[in-house]
Amino acid sequence: MFKSKLFYIVMMIVLIVISGCSKTDESKDVSVKSSDNDSEKQEEIELTFYYPVQVGGPINKIIEEIASDFTEENPHIKINPVYTGDYDNTMIKTQTDIQGNNPPDLAVLLAIDLYTLMDMNAIIPMDDLMENDNDADEYVSDFIPAFLENSKADDKIWSIPFQRSTPVLYYNKEAFKEVGLDPENPPETWNDLIDYSEKLTVRNKDQVERWGVQIPSSTNPWIFKGFVLQSGGILDENGKDVYFHEESVEEALQLHLDLAHKHETMAKGVIDWATTPTDFIEGKAAMIYHTTGNLTNIKDNADFDFGVAYLPANKNYGAPTGGGNFYIFEGISEEKKEAAWEFIKFATSAERAAQWSIDTGYIATRESAYETEVMKEYLESFPQAEVAKNQLEYAGSEMSTHNNGEVTEILKSAFQSVLTGEQQPKEAMEKAQQEADKVLEPFRK
Amino acid sequence: MRYLETFVAYFLAIVWVIPLVWIVLNTFQPNNISSFSLIGGNWTLENIKTVWEGAPFAQYYLNTFIIVTGILFVQFITITLAAYAFARLNFFGKNIIFLIFLIQIMIPADVLISPNYLILRDLSLLDTKLGIMIPHFASAIGIFILRQTFKSIPYELEESAKMDGCSLLRIIWHVYVPLAKPTFLAFSLISVSYHWNNFLWPLIITSSVENRPLTVGLAIFAMSADTGAQWATVSAATFMVIFPLVLAFFIFQKQFISSFMHSGIR
Repeated sequence: MFKSKLFYIVMMIVLIVISGCSKTDESKDVSVKSSDNDSEKQEEIELTFYYPVQVGGPINKIIEEIASDFTEENPHIKINPVYTGDYDNTMIKTQTDIQGNNPPDLAVLLAIDLYTLMDMNAIIPMDDLMENDNDADEYVSDFIPAFLENSKADDKIWSIPFQRSTPVLYYNKEAFKEVGLDPENPPETWNDLIDYSEKLTVRNKDQVERWGVQIPSSTNPWIFKGFVLQSGGILDENGKDVYFHEESVEEALQLHLDLAHKHETMAKGVIDWATTPTDFIEGKAAMIYHTTGNLTNIKDNADFDFGVAYLPANKNYGAPTGGGNFYIFEGISEEKKEAAWEFIKFATSAERAAQWSIDTGYIATRESAYETEVMKEYLESFPQAEVAKNQLEYAGSEMSTHNNGEVTEILKSAFQSVLTGEQQPKEAMEKAQQEADKVLEPFRK
Repeated sequence: MRYLETFVAYFLAIVWVIPLVWIVLNTFQPNNISSFSLIGGNWTLENIKTVWEGAPFAQYYLNTFIIVTGILFVQFITITLAAYAFARLNFFGKNIIFLIFLIQIMIPADVLISPNYLILRDLSLLDTKLGIMIPHFASAIGIFILRQTFKSIPYELEESAKMDGCSLLRIIWHVYVPLAKPTFLAFSLISVSYHWNNFLWPLIITSSVENRPLTVGLAIFAMSADTGAQWATVSAATFMVIFPLVLAFFIFQKQFISSFMHSGIR
């Protein structure tokens, strides 16, 4: 009895494995056939397009729609969108493909991966394609300048902004009213921020029931660069120089320490990125620094009235930009490069950029997107979305250097060791500067 | 003393079960944290629906099932033969080869992604289920635990089978395999749960929906660095991914536990 049962199970598994293998054979056959067709019908182009999803939802549907709409307009070009995890996974997959001489045709990767990709000789400058395109200059100049900053290197444009964001200040209007602050007047300076956060912090004996402000520090020091920009610093330049050991950086660190230790209006130590919006929605934090990508999430889930404001200024307003850009890869045919360029232009057209912004919460990357009817309607019903766009006037680039991962890690661990009290700001940053200099030395020839 | 033991056992059980309960609660409640409650509350299938429609989960279930069973089946063959060789046969360099196998346990799988990728490219197995499976067809840990089990089986059993004229493969099939059943079961648990949850390797070598496993579907909802965590859909997706495994465990619970007891007693 046992034997015959086992026999059937084994047979079943064998069949499953065989069917699994045979299916892959089929798909190979299909691809062979379609390439036969290519040569007959001339110039049928297929593009592989890697994209990450970073907003925790079925965004893949929207991307697939953009791809199929494009094919409808350009029947000879077929786009194969491939979901590739988050930005890190997408980068690993892309790098592995490049090492295997099997690169994708185009991909959305972090804007700050520019130098890493350049060092691998993996991408082509968009200028090559813009030369043959009469409308290209007009097209590129329509992008919001702050978003293009991470695209430029060696006087060339290497990537086209797609899903971009910037941090803003979210504040709980009802909490403002409760403590006698004007809900239409969010903090404008660091002093306001300290002042307001003191009023907004609610304690029950020793337990904090609501923090005045919450600035996440668990991921890379993205928001941190905002504080440096607000203090008149620049943090990094040209991909090979960093300025960690500067007064602006020190001021930024001191503000974090003051909020946590002197005024006790922010939790001590490293604050988690992912749970910060949840804390805001649950009313455990009255003001938070977070990405505009979170706007839709907070709008849908907060059962109180909330406002969105510029990040408070120190010497001036300032915020980094973040997010992903389109890249086109080296080692693919000219026709494919042209086709990829056409697709990028299609996916970033004013209407698409506007709709993409409404669907995802990213900021529309082009000025003309704000002229479209859908966008105007959206902003009317949801004026908070406009704040981030207006703040871009003061925005700078996100930190991006050669060996970006390593340099970011150096800054991050120095930053966090200051927050947890392991190191003093001055010595931590001095050390970080030395380490980063060592990493960047080879690129400064 | 006995009460203390019971107490600790219950305490640990509760600690282990909390995340699971939390996931289930979150899965079936609306995506609004303020209305979240332990009992009562609004029960809804909305999250499951969102997730199910967000990615081709039916296809992913099938793929994961094929990949996991395919790997396990081939592993059973390879580890049984290899374990027998290391346990009972004498050949040149046996100990050194066994040592090399053991060293392989210590190499993290992620390090091998790039070289494995290049080999699969040369075999044109990129973007196939077979490509996902092939690097895992042999298992060092499986060979190791099975060899230990085989060594503990009395040699007299094999001798008497030989006297009756049994061939080598029949000896393995009729003497060793039945006696090592608990070990096979324990190993299946390790193998299935590992490959069920594997994400990065399949993501890197496959691109088409036809070949990608469940974890890729989960990632669409779980990776939300740009917005912060959205617990309801993350929980729903997690629930859908782990549900078959949890269900299987409940059904075969008795066998699993008794198998571990057997291997323990021996």
